[in-house]
Amino acid sequence: MTDKELMRMANRLRLDVVETVHTAGDGHPGPCMSVADLIAVLYFDEMKIDPANPGWQERDRFILSKGHACPILYAALARRGYFEPEELKKLRSLEGMLQGHPDMQKTPGIDSVSGSLGNGVAIGLGMALGLRMQKVESYVYVAVGDGEMDEGVVWEAAMAAPQQKAGNLIVFGDCNNEQSGGRCTELTSLYPVADKWESFHWHVQTIDGHDIGQIKEAIRRAKGVKDCPSFIEMKTIKGKNIPYMEDNNAWHKKTPTAEEVEIARRALEGRI
Amino acid sequence: MKSTREAAMKAILEMAEQDSRIVVVSPDSMLAARAVPFKERFPERFVEVGIAEQDAVDIAAGLAATGMVPIVITYAGFLTMRACEMIRTFIAYPGLNVKLIGLNAGMLGGEREGVTHQFYEDVGILRSIAGVKILAPADGAQVYHAAKEMIKQEGPVYLRLASGREPVVYEEEEPFTYGRLRELKRYGTDAVIFASGYIMDRALEAAGQLHKEGIETILADVSTIKPIDREGVVRLLQETGGRAVTVEDHNIYGGLGSTVCEVACEESPAKVIRLGLKDQYARSGAAKELLDAYGLSVEDIVNAVKRVRES
Repeated sequence: MTDKELMRMANRLRLDVVETVHTAGDGHPGPCMSVADLIAVLYFDEMKIDPANPGWQERDRFILSKGHACPILYAALARRGYFEPEELKKLRSLEGMLQGHPDMQKTPGIDSVSGSLGNGVAIGLGMALGLRMQKVESYVYVAVGDGEMDEGVVWEAAMAAPQQKAGNLIVFGDCNNEQSGGRCTELTSLYPVADKWESFHWHVQTIDGHDIGQIKEAIRRAKGVKDCPSFIEMKTIKGKNIPYMEDNNAWHKKTPTAEEVEIARRALEGRI
Repeated sequence: MKSTREAAMKAILEMAEQDSRIVVVSPDSMLAARAVPFKERFPERFVEVGIAEQDAVDIAAGLAATGMVPIVITYAGFLTMRACEMIRTFIAYPGLNVKLIGLNAGMLGGEREGVTHQFYEDVGILRSIAGVKILAPADGAQVYHAAKEMIKQEGPVYLRLASGREPVVYEEEEPFTYGRLRELKRYGTDAVIFASGYIMDRALEAAGQLHKEGIETILADVSTIKPIDREGVVRLLQETGGRAVTVEDHNIYGGLGSTVCEVACEESPAKVIRLGLKDQYARSGAAKELLDAYGLSVEDIVNAVKRVRES
């Protein structure tokens, strides 16, 4: 896809999230918006995947470590053809397969359970090593939230991955400087983030996480580094492109009303 | 084969020769797990992560998700307590094929190290996590067979090991009976002793001593704690008129004693006396002295059988 098409797809997924969470009456819309562009690039351009064969061993893997943002991932999987978009309406319901947080057994296309924060980097490292042991030349992508980086296990994995020379592991930091209780920098700040990963000997880049071209280019560079895992710090805005959600942490977990769905639809008109 | 730790590694090495999916994940447990030969034989399938149990368990989940069969080996408490949530959410919930081996389980495991390295909660913790099978063999020979069974079983399995200096009670070739308790002695049906793990020699000695005194028991080795052999437990409870003693190197809450009581309550009400650590912490000491001091002496078992028989 072209950058413009991917930008439109990201917005399409954003609107899917607003509608899905509205219908479900529950979910985390704000955190979806900051990773929307990354998800669009991964699922509609970058990743080697086959929706008809979700368990394909040669595929690239993706772990949404900040699993509460799963409505955006579900939207991408539905639009990519893993399941019918109708399924999105059953998010978080007993009748549906889309759990409140990702479940690799219930939902085709989900590569790992996630949602208990901090674990995606370590699980991704395990996948990267497992693929290497089996001589499968695929990549493992992980999206980790900046708030989530408070968790110690993130840094256990950050320590282990360069030692293992896991060049097939690419971690994106969704750095929107918000977490459940407020700004990361006001809770227990890990900022500046990039230098922490650098000091753990990762290949580190910092980009605008809402610039499709920059995301693509950063992945291309990360793939050029063969013997070292990559961390891509994406500077992002929570709630991006939904006017009332942008940088408004009240939307960390909140259900949009019908009127708010309409506002979102109008805001994205012409950009989808 | 005297050492449980060496027995487990011997079995893993043999299985790894046949099965290229087997990986050992070490949170700096290579020496404790006797895994040096594995690292030398299969360097590409040995993953050292440093002193980081949560990382080790998550990495194992990732490895298993790609089709490998990772075995995480480290001290029972660091594994089942520090990495408890990782076991539950990322391995047991998706049912990934990860094997967990806990060292230093029980007082016998930690002995002189003290409470920080003695773990009498592991079985109770894991028993409450859906989808995890729990094996607690009785000596090195049994561990060897149990480790092979662990790898053959699909999905998460926990194998309980201790210090590596456990008394021998079985012949080397005696197979491990997964999912079934085994009658180790049958003197008579005055009472049944359900025992599990590396205190089996004490249970055997107690049963022998009781026999000399004219009290005839059945000694059952319950080496698979989950899934429990309900049918076997019920049969022995019924044969002995519902008089049972449980013996384990674990807190009396959550382990074998609790399991037997649950089965008894639901299927065959019985008088059960649970021997184990009585909801307390032990302390540093020599293994045998510790067991004697904390309610697991041969005499304790003998007396418990006499008490339950009088009831």
